Order: sequence, then C-alpha cells, then structure tokens
Amino acid sequence: MIKVDRLVKNYGDFHLNVSLEIPDGTVTGIVGKNGAGKSTTIKAILGLIQPDGGSVTVNGREASRLTGAEKAKLGVALSDSGFSSYLRVEDVICILRKLYPTFDEAFFRSSCTLQGLAFNKQIKDFSTGMRAKLRVLAAISHRAEMLIMDEPTAGLDVEARNDILDLLRQYLLENDRRSILLTSHISSDLESLCDDIYLIHDGKIALHEDTDRVLSHYAILKLSEEAYETLDRRYLLSTKKESFGYRCFTNEKQFYAENYPGIVMENGSIDDLILMMTGGK
Amino acid sequence: MLGLIEKDLRLTLARKQTLFIFLAVALVMRLSMDGPFLIGYLTMLATIVAVGTISFDEYDNGFAFLLTLPFDRKTYVREKYLFCLLMAAAAWCLGAVLYGVGNSLRHSAGSLCDELPMLLAMIPVMYLSAAVMIPLQLKFGSEKSRIALFILFGLAAILLVGVRQGIGGSAPGMAGLTETLESMSPLVILFVLAAVCALTAYASYRWSVRIMEKKEY
Repeated sequence: MIKVDRLVKNYGDFHLNVSLEIPDGTVTGIVGKNGAGKSTTIKAILGLIQPDGGSVTVNGREASRLTGAEKAKLGVALSDSGFSSYLRVEDVICILRKLYPTFDEAFFRSSCTLQGLAFNKQIKDFSTGMRAKLRVLAAISHRAEMLIMDEPTAGLDVEARNDILDLLRQYLLENDRRSILLTSHISSDLESLCDDIYLIHDGKIALHEDTDRVLSHYAILKLSEEAYETLDRRYLLSTKKESFGYRCFTNEKQFYAENYPGIVMENGSIDDLILMMTGGK
Repeated sequence: MLGLIEKDLRLTLARKQTLFIFLAVALVMRLSMDGPFLIGYLTMLATIVAVGTISFDEYDNGFAFLLTLPFDRKTYVREKYLFCLLMAAAAWCLGAVLYGVGNSLRHSAGSLCDELPMLLAMIPVMYLSAAVMIPLQLKFGSEKSRIALFILFGLAAILLVGVRQGIGGSAPGMAGLTETLESMSPLVILFVLAAVCALTAYASYRWSVRIMEKKEY
C-alpha cells in the first residue's frame, strides 16, 4: 500500500501539495496536463526526490528509506529512464537474475520472444515501442506486488499500446492482491485499466473518483445561453463558454437527464475530466 | 550488489573495441619495452574504465531507473569502489602475466617475486585515482567532473610547487626524505601505500555516499 500524506515539493514557482492512497489490489491512475506534478509525485513515491514536507510511505516504510528487499516487491517502469541502452536483452536477463531472487526467467524469455525483442541486440537499436515493452517486461517479471509506471504507453502506436496493456492485465490476473499505480496521457488506457483516478492540476489533487463513476455519472452538457440561464447549476463542476453557448461538466448526469429531457448531453470521459476540470471557467 | 557488478561488467564488455585497442597497445608495449610499465598502464586503464561505468549509469537519465532497483544508494556507491578494485586487480594480474611471460621469453634477469612488492604497490597507487574520480563524477556528472579533475590537479601542482619552493632553502631535508624512502623495505612501502590508499578510499567513500544520498533524480 502506498500512502502519500500532504506531500510538498517546491521547484521555483511550482508547488506540489498532494495526498493520495493506493490500497493493495487496486489499479490507480494519475492524470493531468504536462507539468501538473504527476511525475514529481511518482518520483517522490520511488524515493528519487526528497519531499519538502509531508510523508510518502510504501508498505509502511518511508519511500526514501526502502531497503533492497522492500524495493524488490516493486516493479518500476519510467518513460524516460531504463537499463543502459548499451546493454542487450541477454545482459538484462543476467542482471535481473542476480537482482531479483524471484525473477521468472522463463516468463521473461518467452514474453520477449512473443513481443519480438531480439536477445542479442543492444537496447539502443530498439524502436520506442520495443524499449517500452522491455521496460514493462522487466518490471513485471519478478512477481512484484505493485507496479509503479510513469507513462508506460507514451509515444507508442495503438498496437504497441495494446500489447503493453495486455501485459499489465495478465499481470493483474495472476494475483488479485497486486496493484498498479500509473500515469498516462492516454485516457482510453486508463478507462480500460484503472479502478480509480486522481486528477492533478497545478500541483494539487483536483479530483479523485472511481473510473466507473466517471464513466457512468459524469457528462458534458451542451447548452444555449438561454438554457444555461434557466439551468439548476448546483451539480456543475465546471463551465466553459463556447461559440454555441456553454459547455458544462457535471457529476450528476442522471439529475439533468431526468429534469431537463431536451438537454444535449454526452457521456463523460477521462479526457473531458482533464479538459473541463483543468481548463474550464 | 552482485547484480550491480554484473551490470558494470557487461557495460564494460560492451565496449569491445576500446578494450581491444587497450590490449593491443599493451601487447605492443610489452614487445617493444622492458620494465613493468605495462602493469601500471593496464591497471590505470582498468581503473578509468571502471569509473567510466558511472557515465553509463548517468547517460539518458539512467540513474532514475537504476535507483528503483532492489538496492539502496549506499550499496550503489559501495559497488563502484569494489568494482574499481576488482578491475584494477584483474588488470594488474593480466599485466603481471604478460610481464612475467615476456621476461621468461627474453631470459631477463631477476624474478617477478623479487619485484612483487613494488609491482603490487601499483594497485593502491592507481586505486587512489579512483578514490578521487568517483566522488567527483557522482557530484558533477561525467562532463563537469573532467573540469573538476583538471582544477584539482592544477591546485595540487601549485601546492607542490609552493611546498618545494618553500623548502627550497632546506634541500638536505628533501634529500633526507628521498634517502629514507630508498632505505625502506619495499614491503614497508607497500603497506604504507596500502594504508594511505585504504584511508583515502574510505574518506572518499563516505563523501560519495553523502553525495548520492543528497542527490535527486
């Protein structure tokens, strides 16, 4: 279990101040615009940066003081960092074998073959998609209890993204106590995988909600100026002026569907959540 | 720790061309030169190559991922010092074998055993350079650490010249020191060097741990 309690981190004008909790057996997504603080939060959880305030604990231990054995229970894939690109997959296997007593070499080898990762090619000669697959495979092949992934599907084509999501689903299916914490810009990835979503905006948690609830209760209302004036606005989370009138975001779709039958309404998505909760006025 | 050594060994072996050139030069040196210079040359190169693995770790923001692997920052630093020592020792052995084989082929006088203490002294001497380079590289990164190293050696040179000029009037003092060193047994010199090296390496290790523990990635 990961607990981030009033984590504060300051970089010049940027101030991060977030609290979040990732219980065992859940898949949690962190979404937000570039520079919102997603990667900083992940780095704090991994003990790569020192918080200026608050605390980050992983399975009860302060993140920056995790022992090797405690780190072995985590599988990590970062978007901009991995094994040296001068190593080959064969080298990575030998290193993982020595680092993790629980490393499942047979699974790793068969998955690499399945994903078309050449064993004797240096990582620098791999495509972006191949590198991403290797990072995810390295993270899941030692039976980690929790995966922490920063943008695991960034910059990948649909096929490569699906392959990675399939690997993560397979990882989850093997043990229902396993958890994943991931950040992503691609809402469809999060919608299909996450149990709950944290939206970070300007270094703060703007919203925390179950994914199912976002998809079932949240909606975009498209209103003319007249319709907007007569609307009960108690359940509007954000409103944006458009050329046709107003675009409103609500978390009570049913209320507006029942009370305003003629209203133009679109089901909410995580993209809408990001756009309306971080850009609306 | 073993995983880190495996990683560094594999990163070193990934530089096949560089290693091949180093070995080729060593062989040419052995064929064309007398004396144990070759052993020092190989030991020094191995030390530089070993310290250079930090650059590989640093390359492409590699530290961020590396430090999520199952070891703490102190273990990372400890492994670097151990890896440098292992590389220096392995290169020394290779140099000693080449030197010994060359001597026996040339039927040169004197056995390797007689020279052993002085030859072994090359390991602590070369390892001292690693003890200087590791914290600099961790603190400043591979590019800036070169500048830092130049500045450090420049300051050391100025200091030496200053000391020499300062005691210029008492040349007998220097001569006395030289005489004392020459009269000392090679074994004593080896132990003194090893002790100085161990103390310096320990101080350097402590400094490196502090650098690593403060760094953010």
